Amino acid sequence: MNKILITDQGAEQSVVEVLRFLLDNKKVGGVLTLRQTSKKGSLDYGLLTRSEELDRAVPLMPVMPANAAQILSSLTPAKKPIAAVVKPCELRGFVERIKREQGSLDNVLTISMTCGGVIPLDISIKTSKNKLTPKYYEQVKAGEIPENIRPTCKTCEHFVPMTADITISVVGEKGLDSTCRFILNSDKAASMTEGFGRIEDGGLDTKVLDDHLKKRQTKNKNLLESLKSQLDGLDGLVDIFGKCIGCHGCSRVCPICYCVLCDFESRSFDQNVTFYEEELTQKGALRLPPDTLFFHLGRLSHMSFSCVGCGQCADVCPADIPVASVFKKIGENTAALFDYVPGRDVEEDIPVMVFKEEEFKELGE
Amino acid sequence: MKKVGVYICECGPNIADNVDIERILASVSSMEESEGIEIVAKPYKLLCSGEGQEYLKEEIETNQLTHLVIGACSPRDHNSTFINVCKQTRLNPYLYKLINIREHCAWIVHDKEKATDKAIQYIRGGIRRVLYQSELHEKKLDINPDVLVIGGGIAGIEAALCLAGPERRVFLVEKSDKLGGKAAEWGSLLPRQAGGVKAIQDKIGQTEANTGIQVITKTRVNNIIGFLGNFEAELCQVDDPETTTDLTVGAIVVATGFRLNEVSSLPEFKSADSDEVYTTLDVERMLKEKGQVALQTGEKPKSVALIFCAGREKVGYCSQICCSTTIKIARQIKEQNPETAVKCFIRDLCLPHKDDQAFYQQARDLGVEFVRVQTVKSDGVGVHYTCMDQSNGTEKFDMVILAPAMEPAEGTTELSEILGIPLHETGFYEEAHQTINPVATATDGIFVAGTARGPGGVTATLNQAQAVAGKIMVQLIPGEQIVPEVKVSEILEAFCMGCKTCLDVCHYGAIVFDEDKGISVVKEAVCRGCGNCVGSCPSGAIQLKHFTKPQLYQEVIEALR
Amino acid sequence: MSKSSKPGIKIPVKNGIEQTVRTLLNKALGHSIDALLMPVKVPSKDSYAWILMQDSDVVNDASPMAAGMPVQGAKALKSLTRKGGGSLRVAALMRPCEVRAAIELVKLNQINLENVVLISYDCPGALPLSELSDNFEAAEKKFKVLLSSRCFDSPDVKPVCQFCTGFSMGAADIHIGLADGDTGHLLLISGSPKGKAFLSAAGLNVDEDLSAYKKQVDLILKKKTQKTKEIFQAVQPMVEGLENLAETFSNCIGCHNCQSACPICYCRQCYFDSKESKLEPAYYMEKAEKRGGVSFPHDRVLFHVGRMSHMSLSCVSCGQCTDACPVSIPVAKVFSYVASQTQQAFEYSAGKSVSEAIPLKEFKEDELQKIHEIVKSAESQESPHE
Repeated sequence: MNKILITDQGAEQSVVEVLRFLLDNKKVGGVLTLRQTSKKGSLDYGLLTRSEELDRAVPLMPVMPANAAQILSSLTPAKKPIAAVVKPCELRGFVERIKREQGSLDNVLTISMTCGGVIPLDISIKTSKNKLTPKYYEQVKAGEIPENIRPTCKTCEHFVPMTADITISVVGEKGLDSTCRFILNSDKAASMTEGFGRIEDGGLDTKVLDDHLKKRQTKNKNLLESLKSQLDGLDGLVDIFGKCIGCHGCSRVCPICYCVLCDFESRSFDQNVTFYEEELTQKGALRLPPDTLFFHLGRLSHMSFSCVGCGQCADVCPADIPVASVFKKIGENTAALFDYVPGRDVEEDIPVMVFKEEEFKELGE
Repeated sequence: MKKVGVYICECGPNIADNVDIERILASVSSMEESEGIEIVAKPYKLLCSGEGQEYLKEEIETNQLTHLVIGACSPRDHNSTFINVCKQTRLNPYLYKLINIREHCAWIVHDKEKATDKAIQYIRGGIRRVLYQSELHEKKLDINPDVLVIGGGIAGIEAALCLAGPERRVFLVEKSDKLGGKAAEWGSLLPRQAGGVKAIQDKIGQTEANTGIQVITKTRVNNIIGFLGNFEAELCQVDDPETTTDLTVGAIVVATGFRLNEVSSLPEFKSADSDEVYTTLDVERMLKEKGQVALQTGEKPKSVALIFCAGREKVGYCSQICCSTTIKIARQIKEQNPETAVKCFIRDLCLPHKDDQAFYQQARDLGVEFVRVQTVKSDGVGVHYTCMDQSNGTEKFDMVILAPAMEPAEGTTELSEILGIPLHETGFYEEAHQTINPVATATDGIFVAGTARGPGGVTATLNQAQAVAGKIMVQLIPGEQIVPEVKVSEILEAFCMGCKTCLDVCHYGAIVFDEDKGISVVKEAVCRGCGNCVGSCPSGAIQLKHFTKPQLYQEVIEALR
Repeated sequence: MSKSSKPGIKIPVKNGIEQTVRTLLNKALGHSIDALLMPVKVPSKDSYAWILMQDSDVVNDASPMAAGMPVQGAKALKSLTRKGGGSLRVAALMRPCEVRAAIELVKLNQINLENVVLISYDCPGALPLSELSDNFEAAEKKFKVLLSSRCFDSPDVKPVCQFCTGFSMGAADIHIGLADGDTGHLLLISGSPKGKAFLSAAGLNVDEDLSAYKKQVDLILKKKTQKTKEIFQAVQPMVEGLENLAETFSNCIGCHNCQSACPICYCRQCYFDSKESKLEPAYYMEKAEKRGGVSFPHDRVLFHVGRMSHMSLSCVSCGQCTDACPVSIPVAKVFSYVASQTQQAFEYSAGKSVSEAIPLKEFKEDELQKIHEIVKSAESQESPHE
């Protein structure tokens, strides 16, 4: 049984008040959360240090302009305490980054929520914010999977945060408009929110969440089936990634891809013209620039088992390639071989960094 | 744990009276916590003094300082002083920074509070910067004492003769097939008239006989990179540019001489290429060859006009020697043919040497006529002029001699680009300083002597050649070593795309292109650390050591905090 | 343009423009040319990719004039020749803006045109990449109509294409003229000795003068110039002043797709991705404390202004940046406007000629007179007592 913080205000407003409490009482030096800026109401993550700045904060907005994992890397190790309101996959992404020395959870109060999914960027850009969310929340409150969210969100089985200090209950919460429940998962969470408001014993409603999980699992299985036929061998991969224009935007926005200079953009892949001429003579035709598919295979081999399925990659792809679904599925399957779940535990080693003498015996045989 | 020593110099009353040093020290000490470093912050009376330097040395050793920041005067005054202090300790001198709180704060901000505030900003910025600095290690290079002399005229010959010795070779490169240049073509040299010519011929003979001088004719210079003590030169044959030779030398003397202005192309001297119209050089050659001045027919001229300053307006400067040379020619003609009417059309007379005035007077006494004119034109052998009193005159002569201006030799522009040294607006080579450093150029190790740097006579040329030799002998002592600059640019191979933008903006020729790797590479020996390349690279693949972007950013960020 | 006053030759259109071009190029393959670089539909038949081909079967499958431009042709050429020209003689069929980008990349030492024949064509514009993604077949059909009807003022092409005054002949070795309205013929124009040699090797000897063609091109240019004026007038308030600039780029998520897709941005690592441009965690907190809050991506506007300052002089207004932007920022319009201003200041025209040095690489003592005048007039307006 955990302690939960209960408010008598709508969820979004409640979260803002908690953040305000943390700032005003100097529990933290700053809070990282989504907010609306600019005249046209653009959404971005802001590190806010003053209460007044919270007036335009929208912590629970189901949009992900950038994966906060990257932002948390640049803000840590934090000398002053900060609180961050992030989606579960962003938190898992950050945990994966920490395993690669790209940040630290020290001095960070992580606030996440049971996530109903994220609306794709192109839709969120074109729709005004007050039109964006009503239908979405209707379905989320009812424990349904909203229609217009990222494909990877629909199939995400890890919508309950794993390592957050505070979990905001959103999915299946029918009373979201008038009350909000914050599950305090750690001592840090309890001590920082002390004095804010009503504390009770309680936790997440496991039945509601299990029901929801089943729906997600079904969709995930269907995704696997549909992808399997599409990804049948090299031809299938060529079909899916054939449209790729090589912008590498997927890699740049990926929370896991932390390399300052991707190997595929480095001198390693700079070829002499004689190389091309030889290839051409052998095959009769050669795609330029080369290594379109190779890049994706390489990226898969480098990070797929850490893929948290956030879907940021597909959102930025100019060629509308379902990168996220492919990477998520392949990642899940690879990770499963090692009984690994990315972002589950900061102490859990990344499979490539661990050598076990006894593993994959079946391959040996 | 980084341990930064911060020493604020009182500089007598200069700094102590105008900033609150205690407050600076207190502010600096507060950086310990925020930066996670140890700070030793102290004041001192006069750091540049002998005791001050000893004090610093002791402080560095006793406190085991890893970095050093000094708040004192301008680096122009004492940067090298404190670098030397570091060199006598274990502290690498590139982990030190001198912050100017005298000229920039104490001396110009009159409010003590504000001056202190500013000094605090600067010093804190300096502390932050020093934490991002890296050790740089100086290397010693053996200097090459040999010299490349470009041009085999009298300037080049003189320099070569002065310089060549058992420990120093001279490579004398000449584009024509013989030594001597223009001076060897003169019939006679002032002031003694005949003797000078033999002297020049003797010098040519000595040069050819000197085993320390390698004379390379029919050759020109293709490319030069390097710096004092360490130049690489590529030479090629004039009629076969593909055949190249490489030389390494320690200094270069530019002695490429002059040419005469193409006076026949000037509109005021029509038909200047017709018979019986000569330049002073033509007449010198004639005198050298035949010993006398005669018409094409072989007869002696009955009347000769000598037009001074031909084309002076066009070039915009006085060529210094033509007046005396032309007077000399006028005298010679008159002495050989007393009946011949010799008329000199002059503007201003340039008679700078001790004997010139008397020489001129003697010419007049002989009967050479001097007419001062405002303008003078010629059309073949007809001369049209306007006197100072506005009256006009027209006369026809048997012979007209034009005294054209001296111009830089052909190929000066190309050679100046190869050498990377600037030209004066007149087109001659620019001296390092016209008044106080007149034979050096903007590039250490490249010198210029003779008419390549501007009009002048044989005496001046010989003076300059000897001066250049003297300078080289002092700067390039065989067996010595030099320490090239370490604060040079560095290109990161991983990020260079070989676009050559840095190469195009480097005016020192310090960047070369590696064709195999397809990247630009800095020749550290030549780099002057100006930073042009750093600014030009869009990717940031070039950094200037000791002035890297992180260092500069951090200094500014801290100072503006 | 070639020195000859009659550098053109008309060939009849057989089975459509693209087939005519395929036939011509197939004929040359193996004779005056060893390989061709052209767009070909990808296996999933919903986009195009640049293919270097020697196989005439592949040529027959190619789409010489593609409906869209997923990858800028200069990029394909760059990946082939960046490390020097090869032994194969290649003919590359590209849009005029791709040729312009190639010319700029030659000057930046990223492309070697020694053994390359550049062929361009009067371009009706390209359809937006999103349109190809939504319904490729429909997009392909739409474009084919534009091509066959020789339509150069379609409102359906990318915005930058609508005001493109470089749609016709530029620095290519051969240009395929379509603008003269003669739908029964293609007007092949030789633009260089290389181009002339290619044509004569194909049995085509130039003998047409271009006056009628140029007249038609000029009429179209007039309209485009007018369109440019209108669009730039609308863009001007979007970029003047930091506030407006910030508003224009407020949706930017810092994905840098625009920079990756840009043919001119050749840096292996963009400065704004480098370690140097990242600051310590404490710095962001400090900045946030000073201002009350700090947004991410950090330096959102600086990235764009920095990119402008680095590549604006070479911007060829191809519009790849807008195609690649996931949040629909009109990057191409903005950058084109700025580029027109900066290029004008140096009297420089990006992509016009290999011999015209990029202003950054060249020092001229007398330049930027306009800026001198602006400074002078500003100084004279200052009060002497200030």
